[in-house]
Amino acid sequence: MALFGFRSEDPWSAFDQLRRELSDVLGSYAPEGPSLARGQTFPPVNLYETEDAWVLMAELPGLRAEDIEVSVEDDRVTLRGERKIEVPDRPDVSVHRRERQAGIFRRTIQLPHAPEPDKVEAAYRHGVLQVRLPKPASRKPRQISIHPS
Amino acid sequence: MSKAMTTQSQEMQSRAKQAAGREGTRPGWVFRPDVDILETADEFVVSADLPGVDEGGVDVELKDGVLSIDARLGVLPDAGWRPVYAEFRMGGYRRSFDVAESIDPAKIRAELRDGVLTLRLPKAERHKPRKIAVTQA
Repeated sequence: MALFGFRSEDPWSAFDQLRRELSDVLGSYAPEGPSLARGQTFPPVNLYETEDAWVLMAELPGLRAEDIEVSVEDDRVTLRGERKIEVPDRPDVSVHRRERQAGIFRRTIQLPHAPEPDKVEAAYRHGVLQVRLPKPASRKPRQISIHPS
Repeated sequence: MSKAMTTQSQEMQSRAKQAAGREGTRPGWVFRPDVDILETADEFVVSADLPGVDEGGVDVELKDGVLSIDARLGVLPDAGWRPVYAEFRMGGYRRSFDVAESIDPAKIRAELRDGVLTLRLPKAERHKPRKIAVTQA
């Protein structure tokens, strides 16, 4: 008996959508690593730059802060952990759909330059990890005052 | 991009985010969240990955036999941050399911924790499996 069905889902439109998105992503960002057609690296990350820091965001739903390890070595940030999804192993439990990924992950991300390692801060909120990596003083923009001659 | 970003030795892969099937009226991207659906004797349990969504940002509705999840992002980059490299897009999440009549709509419970929404849909009493004792004639 089908208790859950998916509405208005034409499988080909989903496929077309995915293909469009892939070409968008590949065209504009050209990420390295395994082919996106087989899935993305986990966790997916975005990197931002501010005046005095780089900020790394990673989508990591369903973990606890203590299960995520963040380390910095020179210009590389490593995220490590395990996402566990427990399915009770009982005869009365049946699995209708299993789309969420679980397992051990380890990712190393290279920054444009080495941050100040002692000032790195990480926060985990609502399934998103945010790592703030302050730039070394020599990398921060400096205002140069001009003296009238 | 000043220097190529490299990634190494990941054992785990995530699925590429998929756009939601139907377009909405809100601006921005809307994705179809990954879900797990389990069934026990008493209930259905739907778990949906909604990274970046907080308690105030998710609506769950059961109407005309359709259960829908509609969520908005609460965790966003600051407006002044300049994107250097991007692997995921940010946006809301939407997905809907046809729900059988055997669900008791008044007893549906929803909980959001660390970006995962868990919905518990208890079966109505009369639809629960019943053990029939066999007596000897």
